[in-house]
Amino acid sequence: MHIATDFWTWVAALLTLAILSFLWDDNSFYRAAEHLYIGVANGYSITLIWYNVVVPNMIDPLRGAAHVVSEQGFAAAFFTFNEHNVLNPYHDNNFFIIIPMMVGALYVTRFIPSISWMIRIPIGITMGYYTAISIPASFKASIVRQLEASILSRSDFDSAWVLVYGLLIFVTTVATLIYFFFSAEHKGVLRPISNIGILTVMVGFGASFGLTVMARISLAIGRFIFIFKDWLGMVQ
Amino acid sequence: MENKTIWTRMMNIDRRIIYVIVAIVMILPIIFPFNLPMRVSKRTTQALFDAIDNFPSENGVFLISADLSPQDQPELYPMLVSWIRHCFHRDIKVLVMCLYPTSLGLAEQALNQVATEFNNRASTGIGRRVVYGEDFVFLGYKPPPIVPILGLGENIYEVYPRDFYGNDLRTLPMMVSKRIKSYRDMDMIGSIAANSLPITYVAYAQARFGIRVTGGVTAVSVADFYPYLDSGQLTGMLEGMKGAAEYEQLIVEKFPEDNGRRMATEGMSAQSSTHIAIILMILLGNVCYFMQRRHEKRGI
Repeated sequence: MHIATDFWTWVAALLTLAILSFLWDDNSFYRAAEHLYIGVANGYSITLIWYNVVVPNMIDPLRGAAHVVSEQGFAAAFFTFNEHNVLNPYHDNNFFIIIPMMVGALYVTRFIPSISWMIRIPIGITMGYYTAISIPASFKASIVRQLEASILSRSDFDSAWVLVYGLLIFVTTVATLIYFFFSAEHKGVLRPISNIGILTVMVGFGASFGLTVMARISLAIGRFIFIFKDWLGMVQ
Repeated sequence: MENKTIWTRMMNIDRRIIYVIVAIVMILPIIFPFNLPMRVSKRTTQALFDAIDNFPSENGVFLISADLSPQDQPELYPMLVSWIRHCFHRDIKVLVMCLYPTSLGLAEQALNQVATEFNNRASTGIGRRVVYGEDFVFLGYKPPPIVPILGLGENIYEVYPRDFYGNDLRTLPMMVSKRIKSYRDMDMIGSIAANSLPITYVAYAQARFGIRVTGGVTAVSVADFYPYLDSGQLTGMLEGMKGAAEYEQLIVEKFPEDNGRRMATEGMSAQSSTHIAIILMILLGNVCYFMQRRHEKRGI
């Protein structure tokens, strides 16, 4: 048994035990660890975003642009082009960054009731951009290609198992879609098909539950390995 | 005093007793590990291993989007380490990027860990050394996810003018010698994430630029990815800790000199024993429920 001598391993181990103590009952050790976690996570994220996003994407270009203005004039700090003669918003020393900065700053207007309507501008731009970019991409990747994969094709008849598998996907897809088709009453021929659909959905839920259990156990195992191997050194 | 049957008492058992049972069943195999045979899944782990193994070793470039965080570390970190190990063994160049700030520390740690493993082995005359900038590059973090995902299809240098350490990306030997400019110069994207990012890569990077995509995902989200695996949009996949352990096994079988820590394999005996315990408890719970109902019907 070789107990860790590293200070931070001890901190991590004691905090792990403090969090796990909630399983017994709520207590002050758990609450202290929880508050510490939230504080550290927020501080870590804010610092990282400041140095990895705000400084390189906002402060540095503005500082560089100010330098360019002093040496080459105002126009040079606005129009920076890449090797293909395309305006390059990522380039250093670019005053164009002021435009998205101002649009982004409109989010703060939410706190000023008289001009809070201006928050709709950045929200509208963001929604418009993401909607336009995601509809065709998602339609192609998640609908068209999935439909193609559900349709029986010549390759599905290559072997008996492939055929069984292809038929299973075809039948369960159609049955599940019919189960969620609410414009007609589920009676007559629709009834047995929708029953297959609900059975398929239940099998899916069962698989998801099993996988969820597996995932949660993996996380607990990760912590126990850390305690017994990395901290207490009970495992070689 | 109410006359409670054993079934009623079992149905109202203190949850803490169940926690203690699960903890014992989980901890014992960690302290006293035992080996159970592990069958590698052909459609997921083996397919991915074969795909990476068949990269042209001289020109292969693997872009890893490492978007793991501390809360999913036990499942996803071993996957990242295994992918990097496999690439270094095969002399495949590795680009690592992060789409979330919490991933940066873990991604850097994985790269340093595997590089140190290889360099320590090389100092004993086994294998080769790996060098930052020549064998791997850490691009760092650039938000929001859609910007680097689409931007890397056009020009990597406009999205990442500098790497994580502030080096000019254009000057790094690996970027120069392999002429890496966009997805066209890469063989595959591997997305390690606890959310739907692999599907985002399929929708934006694959659909638009045609690059192959694979995923390393947590077990809880695996079911969402099976349709994409089935349609061929994902080239193999790693499913939680089990998938990572399978990949570690494949690496050791193919590269016996690899003596790195197999973090996912360490947890597999505990995983199996806990699953058995949970299955037994579910069965017991159902038996107790039906027996209790039977007693209630009889009016006992």
